[in-house]
Amino acid sequence: MKYLEDIILKLGAVDRRIIFLLIGLAVLIPLLTPISLPVRETPTTVKFYEGIDNIPKNSKVLVSFDYGPSTRPEIHPMNVGVLRHMLRNGHKIYISCLWPDGIYMALDALEEITDEVNPDNQSTFDIKEYEDYVLLGYRPGAEAVIKGLASDLRKVYTVDAKGRFIDDIEMMDEIKNLNDFAYIYSGSAGYPGTFEWVKYGGDPTGVPMSSGTTSVQVNEVIPYVQTGQLIGLLAGMPGAAEYEKLIDSPGIAIQGMAAQSFAHIVIVIFIVFGNLAFFIKQRRDRKY
Amino acid sequence: MLLKRYIPIGIVAFFGALTLSAWFIDNETIETFANDDATQFFDIIAAFAVFLGALNLLKLQFIKVLKQQSGWQYSAVAIASFFFAFIIGFFIRGAYFVGEEVYFSQGAAEEAILALGSSEQIVPVDWGAHVQTDGSLFQWMFKYIFSPLSATMFALLAFFVASASFRAFRARNLEASLLLVAGIIIMLGRVPVGSLISSWVIMYIIAFSVGFAVNAYTRNRNMALGWVLGSFGLITGLGFTMGWPVDQPAIFYLPALQEWIYLVPNLAGSRAILIGIGLGIVATSLRYIFGLEKSYLGE
Repeated sequence: MKYLEDIILKLGAVDRRIIFLLIGLAVLIPLLTPISLPVRETPTTVKFYEGIDNIPKNSKVLVSFDYGPSTRPEIHPMNVGVLRHMLRNGHKIYISCLWPDGIYMALDALEEITDEVNPDNQSTFDIKEYEDYVLLGYRPGAEAVIKGLASDLRKVYTVDAKGRFIDDIEMMDEIKNLNDFAYIYSGSAGYPGTFEWVKYGGDPTGVPMSSGTTSVQVNEVIPYVQTGQLIGLLAGMPGAAEYEKLIDSPGIAIQGMAAQSFAHIVIVIFIVFGNLAFFIKQRRDRKY
Repeated sequence: MLLKRYIPIGIVAFFGALTLSAWFIDNETIETFANDDATQFFDIIAAFAVFLGALNLLKLQFIKVLKQQSGWQYSAVAIASFFFAFIIGFFIRGAYFVGEEVYFSQGAAEEAILALGSSEQIVPVDWGAHVQTDGSLFQWMFKYIFSPLSATMFALLAFFVASASFRAFRARNLEASLLLVAGIIIMLGRVPVGSLISSWVIMYIIAFSVGFAVNAYTRNRNMALGWVLGSFGLITGLGFTMGWPVDQPAIFYLPALQEWIYLVPNLAGSRAILIGIGLGIVATSLRYIFGLEKSYLGE
């Protein structure tokens, strides 16, 4: 027993570089050799899926890219999935960005969707700018931008991301403000993001909205889901994986689940050993 | 005193009250001010704040380099990066199109036309649009410098979270133990591997942990062993009766448990915090309007 306790004590005082190495391996190995794990949908994700699926066909929807490269692994798969889902239902997509790097994320997502081909090597989505989507781009001002959009879109955006006048874009003809959209979606990694869209966009106009957030934001955002201010929620990469499963379009989020699972297991194992070592040490200290 | 104190307080009080009144008074002029004009004011001020921020950043970094303070090398990199981004954003457009092909410089585009004997015209991308067009230096910087660096910084968090939780997550008292157990349930329950862990395994672990606690508390090994054997027998019997379903009893199934933690105790706590923040905002806003809050004056 004492021998076992000594081993646990040694594990409890392991050098942090060993932890770094094991975490690195736990993430890297499943990414290099994909392992399939069953993804189970949670009620908030199902609600999110149904919210988007229930938008009347061929509606006008606003998608906001409120994140950057740092949180891309979590939010990007959600946004790509949402675009796919919306395009399948024939919606016209209007893309805004509250983060300066959001525009690059939007361009990447659109490129990914444009390049997607089916087994017959044909484009899955034959989308064209100004016919299927408009990239409005980034505007500074955070909540002031949302408030402006709720009041008069043309005061916030006089030109789109390519510098084309909004009034010259046919797709923008019937769009005056947020009330002209059937749905708002924000892929958000913090401020400005979900909170601001709910407070200044969704709530004042009554336009239904939902969001995809990073895992750490879920705690703060979840009250809005229960009240119905958000129609469901995609919570971090697991939420993105669940959504990919629901729309039957497996992608990077599902692939990333094995890496995340193993990393979590390694952390939990270390926490357990750390605590066992803590108890053993405490008991020995009491003895002497 | 009048210029530095009373006039700013008066401006803040007036515009604060005006913006607030737009929610309560049905007047088009006030509504237009609050919804359109005030937000435009905000945008203009925010744009100037960017200049101030940039100048302040440069000032601080330059001082650090000139005085050779600790870590001045990083400041030098920050200054160089600032000017690099500034120059390629404002002065080097890049992205010269020859048909579908894109070239970084006009010279490269002309050479390509000569080499191909093409009759295509060189079409440079518009200023402004160049920052998001493939082929521009700014786009290159974003893709190959900013994105990887940004992702790397964030990815490092995984390592620090692992190391920090290993050292800090200790069941020192009841509160810390609750946090620890909830953390483990969330960590395992959120990921697919959690759904593979049968609720029966969790029941056995709980029974064993309780036995461990009984031994530690009573110092009676026989009692602890009796508890462990008795509860293991009960769980096994129940398992055979129910057919060992992975997700039953749901109360011991990790994905169901983590959902409950999110949607009940966590939601209650988050809502309390949100309401507290809301009340705090109301109180602070009123203090600004009534001229009681003067921190923006440097007081």
